[in-house]
Parts: sequence; structure tokens; C-alpha cells
Amino acid sequence: MSHRRYMTTLKLDEAELRARRAFCELTEDDLQRLRGLRPLAEKHSAELVEAFYALLLSHEQTRKFFPDEATVRRVKRTQSEYFLGLFEGRCDLAYVEDRLRVGAVHERIGLSPKWYLAAYRKYLALLHSKLGSELAPADAAAAFQSLQKLVFFDVTIAIDTYIAANIETIQRHQTALRELSTPVIRVHDRVLLLPLVGAIDSLRAQQIMDAVLLRIVEEKARCIIVDIAGVPVVDTKVADSLVKTTASVRLLGAKTILTGISAQVARTIVQLGVDISTMHTCARLQDGIELALDLVGKTIVDKDRPRGAEGG
Amino acid sequence: MQGIIPILRMGDILLTTVHVELRDAVAEGFQADVLSTIERSHVSGLVIDISGLDMVDTYVARILAETGRMARLMGTETVLCGMRPEIAATLVRMGYLMEGVHAALDLDEGLELLRELRARP
Repeated sequence: MSHRRYMTTLKLDEAELRARRAFCELTEDDLQRLRGLRPLAEKHSAELVEAFYALLLSHEQTRKFFPDEATVRRVKRTQSEYFLGLFEGRCDLAYVEDRLRVGAVHERIGLSPKWYLAAYRKYLALLHSKLGSELAPADAAAAFQSLQKLVFFDVTIAIDTYIAANIETIQRHQTALRELSTPVIRVHDRVLLLPLVGAIDSLRAQQIMDAVLLRIVEEKARCIIVDIAGVPVVDTKVADSLVKTTASVRLLGAKTILTGISAQVARTIVQLGVDISTMHTCARLQDGIELALDLVGKTIVDKDRPRGAEGG
Repeated sequence: MQGIIPILRMGDILLTTVHVELRDAVAEGFQADVLSTIERSHVSGLVIDISGLDMVDTYVARILAETGRMARLMGTETVLCGMRPEIAATLVRMGYLMEGVHAALDLDEGLELLRELRARP
């Protein structure tokens, strides 16, 4: 189940639970007080849930999550269980897991935190007035304090679930991107081409180096052309990573040719004082391919004008 | 600890395969062996095959690069061959660029590179 995974992602163990409870100042006394209110909660549960859904259903943005009557009935039942869960008098890992599940469901159906948080306000308001009308003022204030602590404890977990889910999505995308970001192409026998598109950060630079070295060994390449025409900014870090890649490529007995160097990039490289003399450089990919073929002892000739004919 | 790593002579090329871990004394012994062999016999190239090494630490990298530079002073070009890609990446990340030695993918390529180097004016 996905919410179990979040328990691990968020490192929610006994120690973390203790720390969170301590920060919310949620003590056993609070839990006992809430447990004492359980009969009261049960009595008003249905009415509170109705009022709560009245709010959700009166707004277009939240109404779309409840397409039909059956769904509304079902979520009202779940809501009632959730509500009574606040008055169980326990706050252990099982409770946390239950709350995480709620957060995970919200995330899955796409109910964003803004509605979740704003709706919780309604909940507190409803509870506040109920406590005020049922209990003596001092008791009501104490009960509300305890309730607030547990509610905020719940909210922190729900928000963390949203964040964990988002991080997971980002990580999934990063993996996909990584696979797309280093396409090493075989141009000819023993000649490889790496067209780089998009920004290069240190993580990507590392992946580029690893991918290039692996492919060189696989293809027994003599030469790799790195085309940076699609790299928007070549700063010191990028230049340095290219120099490093060239150095490690050399250790495998291959040469690096850097192509696609725009005027802007040439200017930057010189102004930054980066020494890239270890690689062959060309303005155009075409020149790079010709140079690479030359390095492996091949040449491109015109069909009707064989090479050597132009001179004489 | 000399004589642990055999050094073969093929025409005017010296060929060695490092197959054991180069620990302090072994590495120094290896370096001394290579250099004295170059001194004794006129050779134009030295091929060091390290395809058998799973790991090359900075000490070994330094010894190998140094040996190459020393051999060059004696008129012998060195080709290091068979380095694994992950080793190449690690060495460069640690700043060991192995200047002074040539490199080739495998033994075949290494010998060819030496031939090419000799053909150059």
C-alpha cells in the first residue's frame, strides 16, 4: 500500500512520533481528556459531518470530488470514522498510519492542501461551538486545547504526505529524464556522438561521464563527439565537467571532439579562463564528424568529385 | 619485491600485465624493474596492461603515471591499456589525469597506438 511506503519515506518511527507529539505538546492527559469526550462526539458526529459536507458541497472546487450521492454517503461514513478517531484517546504508530492513509487518499484524488486546510478550519469552528454549548467554559477551553493539539498533529502528517507524494513524482520524472538526457549515438564504426540538450548540473555531468565511458568501452570507440549546441549556458562548472569527461575518455584511449560552440559560448569559455585545449573543438557538428572520421582513418568524399581532385 | 610482475620484450616493445594488486613494495619493485629493463635494452615503447585490475587507488595511479613520465625521459613512450570505465571516472574525479602516459582501450589498440606514435616524425 502506498501509505505504508510514506511511513518509510517520512521516517515515521517511534522516535519521530515522540518528537512530533512533544512539539505539538500533545500529552497523555490531552488524549485522556479527548477520550472522555467520546460520548459527546458520538452524539454530535452525524450533525457535524453534515455541516462539514454542506461546506464542501456548496463550493464548486470541492464539489467535483463528490460526483454522486453514493460517493457522498460513503465519504460521510469515512468522515464520521475519522472524526471519532480524534476521540479514541490514542496516538500511536497505528494512528499515524491511519492518518497517513487519509493524506494519501487526498493526494491520489487530487484534493489539494488548500481545500484540506481550509475545510479543517470549518471542522474546528463546528467543534468549538459544540464544546461551548455542551460544557462549562473552563472545560470547553481545555477540551478545545487538547483537540487543537491532536488536529495540528494530524495536519502535519497530512501535509507531509502531500510533500512525500510530490517528491516521489519528481523522483520518477528525474529517472525518466536521466534516461533521456545522455543519448550516446553511434555515428559510424568507432565514432560516437552525444548531443547535449538542456542545462547541465553536477548530477547530470556525472551521469554524462559515466554513460560516455561505458559506451566507449562497449563500442570500442576511438572518438566521441560532444555537441553542446543545445546547452543554453556553459559556465565554469559545465566547462570543467567537459574537461573532466575528456580526461577520463583519454584514459580509455579515445578522443573527445567538442562541437556546436556558439560565439557566446566561445566568448564565455575564454573570459572564464577555462582551459579546454585538451579537446578538439569545432563550431559545427559537420566539421566534428569529418574530424572524427579523419581520426579513424576515414573520409567523406563528393560522389562526382573524388577527394584530391580539387587541387589539380 | 622486484620480479613479481613479469616484463616481456617483443621486438622493441616492452609488455607488462599488472594482474596483482600493486601494494607499496610491489609497485616500487615494478617501477624499478621497468626502468632498469628500459636502460638495459633499447626499446621505443612500453605497454602496461591493467585490464586485470578491479581497483586503482591514487597510489597506484601515481606510480603508473610516474613510471610513464620516467620512461619518456629515457625515450620510451608508455601506453596504459585496459582501464575500466569506472576506474577512469574515479581517477579523473580525484584529479589524477595520468598526464605523461598514453592510453588505449585494450592491448591490441595499445600496440597499434605505439606503432602510430613511432610512425610520427
